[in-house]
Amino acid sequence: MALLVLIPVSVLLVILQTAVLPSFALVDARVDLALLLVVAWALTGRVVQAMILSLVAGLLLDLLSGVPLGISAIALMAAANVATLAQGRLWRAHQFAALGAMLLATVTFYAILGVVILLIHPGTDPAVSLARIILPATLLNLALAIPAVQLAAGVERRLYPPKVAL
Amino acid sequence: MPRLSPRVLVTVSLLLLALAVLILSQAGFLRPVEGLAIRPLAALQGGIAPRLAALRALAASPSDVATLRARNAELEAEVARLQQEVITLREQAAEVDVLAALLNFARNAPQNRYVAARVIGSDTSPFLRALWIDAGTDSGVARGMSVVNQAGLVGRVVEVYPTASRVALITDPAEAVNVRLQDSRADGVTSAQPNGELRVDMIDQDAEVASGELVLTSGLGGNFPPQIPVGQVISVRRRDFEVFQQAVITPSVDFENLEILLVVTNFVPLSTQPGP
Repeated sequence: MALLVLIPVSVLLVILQTAVLPSFALVDARVDLALLLVVAWALTGRVVQAMILSLVAGLLLDLLSGVPLGISAIALMAAANVATLAQGRLWRAHQFAALGAMLLATVTFYAILGVVILLIHPGTDPAVSLARIILPATLLNLALAIPAVQLAAGVERRLYPPKVAL
Repeated sequence: MPRLSPRVLVTVSLLLLALAVLILSQAGFLRPVEGLAIRPLAALQGGIAPRLAALRALAASPSDVATLRARNAELEAEVARLQQEVITLREQAAEVDVLAALLNFARNAPQNRYVAARVIGSDTSPFLRALWIDAGTDSGVARGMSVVNQAGLVGRVVEVYPTASRVALITDPAEAVNVRLQDSRADGVTSAQPNGELRVDMIDQDAEVASGELVLTSGLGGNFPPQIPVGQVISVRRRDFEVFQQAVITPSVDFENLEILLVVTNFVPLSTQPGP
């Protein structure tokens, strides 16, 4: 049921990422809305749904990009998996631990994308990519990590209200 | 045999699915599906982009906003309506300026035929420098066509769908443009860095390249029409022990503010691929 809501949201976020976010770039980087959505939803404990979202959002990202179709989906899945290695227990212990999860996820996502870009365009300077794209994008993602996780947790509670024993 | 958890099963299945999509896409089997998927996405982008431009115009006029705040409640509705009208007119005036400049550019090269297209989005990957325009095969756009604006060369069409196309900018690291420096007549090839910096490599050591020199497409290689402005030299690196010298150029096109572009439709790039 949640996917009926989340998949249209992911489509909207990907469109925003291509049509709106370039106007709000930090250096050459912008917030990865799709990554935020996938990781935040994975951190609610709905990892399987997050994986499906990763596939949908990743394919959409690649459709609107020069990256080979499927690479962003794989990168998002890897990022969501890495972010939830502790099965959500760690970040639930303290909400700031979500920052760590988002950091790991962003690094994983860009590591995979970076390797692919280096393979496609061998002339790309890794140092420039790191300084102008990966680090600013990581900062932006970290800045929005806690609101995104709290928002996802709120939506998750609305969609899956806790069962109360009477 | 230990039972796999649903999470592992789903992850592995989806990864395999993504890999299958990747392989099929690279083999070209998903081209029709991609075309179908791009059509609604391009329509959505086309709907959002002009509204965003209007919002940016509103945000860029803080004095007008301050004036609006100062108005009393009865006048607010009227002021808002007038403000909206002013923004619309400014947008239209800016668009007329762009179109007039494009028309002037087109008149200077009457041998070319153009299709005008609006920028509707940029590449989702920050590593790649590309744009989406709202013209595709339905408008006569084909892969490889050069894209320009009134200032000079913007890039070339690398993917085409019925209603939209992806344009790789000349500042994309994968793009290379054969250029000629106007005064020294030296040839070179541009190479872009991920931060958008544009360099001209392969310049003959004997060439006397000076700062401020204009850089134009040379037409060599057959990928772009000749004589289109690419940029201006801002610095030259010349070392005696190197075979070639290198120049850093500033592009003549402002890639941050692209709205309407022209696709050169009658220039067919030469293909180096062997025929069937």
